[in-house]
Amino acid sequence: MKNVEIDIAEIQERYYGRFNPNSILGATFALVAILFLYYLVPNYIEEPGYLKNPMLSPRFIPLVAGWLVLTLSIVMLIEGLLRPPKHTASEELHSGIPKLRWALMMAACAIYMFLFEQLGAITCGIFASLFLFLASSVRHVWVYLLGFAFPVVVSLLFIHVLNVPLPVGTIWE
Amino acid sequence: MNQQIKNFFSATAIGAAALCSIFASQATAADWPSDNIRLVVPYSAGGTTDLISRKVADLMQNELGTIVVENRPGAGSTVATGQLSRGGRGINHTILMASPGHAIGPAIYPGLRFDPVKDFRFIRKVISIPNVMVVPASSPYNSLAELVEAAKNKEVTFSSPGMGSSVHMSGELFKSVTETQMVHVPFRGSGEALPALLSGDVDVSFDNMPTVLPHIKSGKLKALAITTPKRSPFLPDVPTVSEAGEQYGLSGFNTSAWFGVIAHNSLPDAATSKLTDALDKVMESEDFLAFLPKFGAEAGIESGDNFRGFISTEVKKWAKVAQEANIKR
Amino acid sequence: MENFSEVLTLFLSVDNFVAIAVGVLVGVIVGAIPGLTATMAVALALPFTFSLEPVTAILLLVGIYKGGMYGGSITAILIRTPGSPAAACTLLDGYPLAQQGKAKKALKTALYSSCVADLISNIALIFFASYLAKIALNFGPPEYFWLICFSLTIIVSVSGDSVVKGLIAAGLGVIVSSIGLDAVYGSQRLTFDSYDLMDRVSFIPLLIGLFAIPEVFEFYTSKVVPHIRTAASGASLTLAEFKRCLKTVIRGSLIGVVIGAIPGTGATAAAFISYSEAKRNSPRKNNFGKGEIEGVAAAEAGNNGVAGATMIPLLSLGIPGDVITAIILGAFMIHGLTPGPVLFQENLTMVYALFCGILVSSAVLLIVGNAAIRYFSLIAEIPKSILLPIVLMFCVYGAYAVNNSTFDIGLMLLFGLLGFIFNRTGIASAPFLIGFILGPMFEDNLRRTFLISKGDPSIFFRGPITWLFIALTIASLAFAAYRYWQNRIAATNAS
Repeated sequence: MKNVEIDIAEIQERYYGRFNPNSILGATFALVAILFLYYLVPNYIEEPGYLKNPMLSPRFIPLVAGWLVLTLSIVMLIEGLLRPPKHTASEELHSGIPKLRWALMMAACAIYMFLFEQLGAITCGIFASLFLFLASSVRHVWVYLLGFAFPVVVSLLFIHVLNVPLPVGTIWE
Repeated sequence: MNQQIKNFFSATAIGAAALCSIFASQATAADWPSDNIRLVVPYSAGGTTDLISRKVADLMQNELGTIVVENRPGAGSTVATGQLSRGGRGINHTILMASPGHAIGPAIYPGLRFDPVKDFRFIRKVISIPNVMVVPASSPYNSLAELVEAAKNKEVTFSSPGMGSSVHMSGELFKSVTETQMVHVPFRGSGEALPALLSGDVDVSFDNMPTVLPHIKSGKLKALAITTPKRSPFLPDVPTVSEAGEQYGLSGFNTSAWFGVIAHNSLPDAATSKLTDALDKVMESEDFLAFLPKFGAEAGIESGDNFRGFISTEVKKWAKVAQEANIKR
Repeated sequence: MENFSEVLTLFLSVDNFVAIAVGVLVGVIVGAIPGLTATMAVALALPFTFSLEPVTAILLLVGIYKGGMYGGSITAILIRTPGSPAAACTLLDGYPLAQQGKAKKALKTALYSSCVADLISNIALIFFASYLAKIALNFGPPEYFWLICFSLTIIVSVSGDSVVKGLIAAGLGVIVSSIGLDAVYGSQRLTFDSYDLMDRVSFIPLLIGLFAIPEVFEFYTSKVVPHIRTAASGASLTLAEFKRCLKTVIRGSLIGVVIGAIPGTGATAAAFISYSEAKRNSPRKNNFGKGEIEGVAAAEAGNNGVAGATMIPLLSLGIPGDVITAIILGAFMIHGLTPGPVLFQENLTMVYALFCGILVSSAVLLIVGNAAIRYFSLIAEIPKSILLPIVLMFCVYGAYAVNNSTFDIGLMLLFGLLGFIFNRTGIASAPFLIGFILGPMFEDNLRRTFLISKGDPSIFFRGPITWLFIALTIASLAFAAYRYWQNRIAATNAS
């Protein structure tokens, strides 16, 4: 991979406008909190018919936490509007990422997430590792061999030494 | 993932398992086990169920070859039992160490997709541990009767290491039979529950024998009654709940922490009888008999149909208790 | 004197020393692997101890426990992957240090702090066990409730630049922690009928997801990869630096001892409380979170201070304070021994032989830890493009291993995404973790207090311990407000 050198100090400090990250974040969290308080809590937390004390309710702590998040995200929203944060240097590192790179990463994660039981730990490990090596365009062949060796060795270690029955894969039977 | 693909895979797995079971049921008793036996423990490693399972597995290996112990905790024990009920790969070589959670789970966890009785083959109950009704040394109650009388007029709290444990359900059963004002105080694990009981923050508990026995012996707890129909050899002077609470309709009161081996109901008869024989031998072994008193435990009696009958009674009992105690599911 | 020689004959056997050494080594290695915690290592080792002598068996497990407590910090410092929950606090300063090329310094600080804390904790176990056990018994639900309230104030110190953002994260952590079957009524809370969620969200996948996975995501979504030498060949810890940390280490150890002696609170809370106290008292408080060795020292002292002290309620009362001691209790019972006062009466020789072994384990930890640093720090030499795929693989396997469930892998990646969003938006992940850990404790103890109070709220103020923690909570909040105010004034003056 190419290491593009950027002198971080060269990036000038400048302020965001009205639509700054803090305001957007505050608004998002406020929306999430409202959704939580008015949809999830009443629909997905059952309350027993009779309660001796409202603080004993299963809804009590989630409601407290929800209101805390709502209040503070409004604070954040307002604060963001009044005092917009500055751009930070590290943000420059994130713009213009090659799409293939993160697509391959997503693929690797998807393999682990959805195919672990079916392909088995070893196969998943191999595929995901190879994808990730490709993503950062590793050139050395031995690294790819490592991508085969590591999942095999580690899986066997987990299964036989640590007694963790990693899935062998349902499609191999 | 796409649900269809998932279904396809599970269908293939079930098909393969069905095929396997056809072949396996044709096999003679001499061929079983043809593979390593897998003993599933429905709780995490290191707990009481795990400890007992590993001990039993260790002793069973002499009879049946390698036994691999596998922990599959989750939602009481219902994740593991649900998996067992669905069958799949190597189901003929899979056994599970069932515990009270097997019978209590269906009363507590909503919408389970298996039948705790019909879907399983019941091999043998291995161990039974009585619960003991204990109060702190400083407690004003010196007998079951005193406690029940007091609880009729005011709130009495009972602790448990968690909702749905045999300790909790014993308390709920007691409460519903005696129609008293008892309040359940749940803790997480006996490590948290015990200090609250010792210091008198809660009034009473129906805790497992091995947890409270040392404290009864050192005088920090008073044992009021034993929850099994027979008195325990470890506390011969303590009456059973049945004896001490006859006037409150408690006769026949029976709860315990038990551990028994079960399998999928497609397990071939040959394998069942081999497993039963192996467990019988284990339970006669000196090693096992020396192991029991360390846990204040007694050997389980029921096997086969008797064991099934026991579970069936338990399931009905806890369903009723959970309903009366207003435990949601 | 006769007893003393008995103790020595019981203790001085090759088996015991081998058990301690093997235990510590296994503990360090397993503890360092993401997802595999000390708890798991102890649980897996338990069956092997069935055939050992009781003292040897217990020492093996204790060795693993102590090794695991330290081992977790190695990967936390090197690759921001807490090997054990308590190490989540160590990485707050350990990882920035490693990124500055001071990995060796951080690792050594962690090791020496761990060993000192361990020793202090052991001494507390041997000499003050009965006294501390009494305190533990006086901790009922109302006392816990106020202890948790006090612990919640540490959110302020680990919130990074913005307290508001930190508190939001903590609130979200509490919400996530409330998923599962309700502890009192058994009703479903946000489980959406999924059995995987009924026992609450698994802790280990959340932990790895929150801290380790964002590093992976970050790497593959950045154009520029700042070349960072994390090489462990960097400068080691100087004596002067360690002396500077010593006060912090001792304070952390004592916090660890007290938290450890009280069942059910745990090493993670101790590490964060110790960290927060160190930050408050340090002249370099502004450097905390940016690579301050005192921060590493505080975290490690806090979590290793717990290790010896959790044995206090176990040995003197027969009460296991956490999952690991519950497993060790099982090991005692398998050998026909019942920890508690009876053990001291009937097996005093054995208890003292155990104490000797536990003391030796602190020294063994130092030796094994030094060797481990040498080999593990090779990780730091591997380029990230090769290292991160392997780290991800370990994380996935480790997350699966907790419950043998693929659901947890998805959960880990999901929390990875959350951690990534947090990183990008300047929200600290630590408050989320604290909210997740302390939220249920807060709720449980609040409800328990109401349940045992029988309608009398004065139970919340029933004794000196409750008043102590009420005072500490108020003081801590007042101090935070004062600091906030000061910073505000400084900021206005500067602009």
